[in-house]
Amino acid sequence: MSTDSFRELKAATGPAAEGQLARSSTAGQAPDADATPSAGTGTTQPGSRPAGRGKKPVRRKGLSERNRPLWMLIPGGLLMFVIIVIPLFLGIYMSALNLDQYTLRKWVSAPFIGVDNFVEALTDSPLLHSVWLSVSYSLIAMVVTLPLGIAAAVATQNAFKGRALIRSIFLIPYVLPSFVVATVWRTMFQPDGVVDSALGTFGMDGGLWLNGPQTYWTLILVQIWASWPFIYLLALSGLQSVDHEVHEASALDGALWWNKLRYVIFPYLKGPLALAFLIGMLHHINNFTLPFVLFGVPAPADVEVLPILTYVTSFQSFRFGLSAAMAFVSLVLIAIPLFIYLRAVKLDDAETPGGKK
Amino acid sequence: MSASTTSVRGTVSRGSAGTTFRPGSKRQHEVTRLLPGPMLAIILTVLSAIVLIPVAYIFLASVNSDIGVANGEFWPSTFSLENYTKIWSSVGLAKGLANSVLVAGATAVVSAAMSVSIAYVLVRYQFRGRLSILRSLLALQSVPGTLMVLPVFVLFSSAASYLGVQVIGTQWGLFITYLTFAMPFSTWVMVTYLRGLPRELEEAARIDGASNLGVLVRIILPLSWPGIVVSGIFAFLLGWNDVLFASVMTRPDSQTAAVALQIFGASQEGGAIPLYGQMMAASLVCAAPVVILYLIFQRYLVGGLTAGGVK
Repeated sequence: MSTDSFRELKAATGPAAEGQLARSSTAGQAPDADATPSAGTGTTQPGSRPAGRGKKPVRRKGLSERNRPLWMLIPGGLLMFVIIVIPLFLGIYMSALNLDQYTLRKWVSAPFIGVDNFVEALTDSPLLHSVWLSVSYSLIAMVVTLPLGIAAAVATQNAFKGRALIRSIFLIPYVLPSFVVATVWRTMFQPDGVVDSALGTFGMDGGLWLNGPQTYWTLILVQIWASWPFIYLLALSGLQSVDHEVHEASALDGALWWNKLRYVIFPYLKGPLALAFLIGMLHHINNFTLPFVLFGVPAPADVEVLPILTYVTSFQSFRFGLSAAMAFVSLVLIAIPLFIYLRAVKLDDAETPGGKK
Repeated sequence: MSASTTSVRGTVSRGSAGTTFRPGSKRQHEVTRLLPGPMLAIILTVLSAIVLIPVAYIFLASVNSDIGVANGEFWPSTFSLENYTKIWSSVGLAKGLANSVLVAGATAVVSAAMSVSIAYVLVRYQFRGRLSILRSLLALQSVPGTLMVLPVFVLFSSAASYLGVQVIGTQWGLFITYLTFAMPFSTWVMVTYLRGLPRELEEAARIDGASNLGVLVRIILPLSWPGIVVSGIFAFLLGWNDVLFASVMTRPDSQTAAVALQIFGASQEGGAIPLYGQMMAASLVCAAPVVILYLIFQRYLVGGLTAGGVK
């Protein structure tokens, strides 16, 4: 994203930094680059860019502990607190209330029923079925999109005529709004619609796509169509980290294309794809728009994934307390991949803020 | 690392004097090639077809008749552009688009402004709780909307009954909700962007006596506009693409395009066939602003996607 403007910046700041160095060396300092940071102790000395970045705790501290504009965090922090944190706890509290359309208006005085909603959600509701649907559908969609995305990234890695066009085409499903994707596929999957008539020309009977047990596979199919470009993007970023020397080495060894991919290139993709896997799973499990617009509510039982079940329990059956309990269970489910993700992501580049990549 | 790579590069170019390894040369192409030609052609053709056939279908169905679409025609038997004129009057699509532009646009602007100032503090200053804030920015991106919609709805309706502020059913409710849910990702995008900026200019400005706000406005803002645009666009997309909150918290006069589009499927004409042609035309109209934004800022957006790793 930032490469070009960053290069301009380098060009703009380069001479200034050099001038700074030159000045400090004329002031009797050793022209050794490592000596400059220690020379700047105490005074805030700008420049000295080529010298050991991030090894200047005294200067950094002096600059960053004085007069920190922490107030800039307040508006956004307040907003996130009021609209995310408070409702989060409100939701947990509501899961212990007997809330329906009559008690919702005065939810503060609604009867407190403890863990009854959780007991009902786990024993006497389609919740566990929904958990199974959500997890299995997310996994299947993920397993299919991975090879698609990798193949696309490998195919567009080398320059050829029209590559820019192909890359743009590959991102179309990702760019289109989910509700548009779902609306279009819903139209295509209508009984006797274009999918059925296409299958008919091959002598196949498609059956019902938007009703009955096949809906599960309809949802997976559309999810795959919509989300493989995300894998493609992350695989592409992984391929770009392959050093040129690696290509040369494998060319010198005369590696065949499959062996080269399998043993040389794919190891580079492990990191980005593991990240893509986690984030993709989170997206699929949280995806409300796609099943909601594809099938409408109440959805067929075979696509009643967690977000749909939670929504229907709230806004169709008006069992708000039960729905809050279900939402809490889905939060616990989400927490597993989220926890791994948060552990894996590097929050900072260095121990000091502002350290460069 | 850098020393070893340069030495390797040096020996290679010296050893193969005569055959050039210049980037872009034919020789170079052979070395970096990953797939044999036919394989490449098959992958590109199949994937392009998978993407383009449904996309082409949207265009074709939007100029088709409702009966033609219902009968499963891929190629329309009758061409007509009248669906594109009818969509403006049959359901409130125009009003929905206007609401979407208003709400998503306001979300984009405010979210970009707030996220750049938060990211600036997070990147440039050291303070207790900084890492926790960074971590929660990532975690909050993954909080499911279905978990939040009911409590937020209750919170807003409580605001109406206890404070007398009517939020539900207005554009304000959607704006505040989208703004909040866009902030974590927009801020994360800005954090990754600002990290790439060198500090020297800011430090020089400080020497010249610039205040914190002065540095932000005079130095950071002009340097980071690509990042600001990207974080604003992601906020816009969040508002534009949302169905969940829009379907719960709007009235007919404040509904967004995403909600209006669903009505085409429900409205039926004469012989109980939904307005398929108009629905496809309206789908294209709803997708257009997003696609145009993407085409204009493609280079930056793709980088932002992989930097943040989230849609």
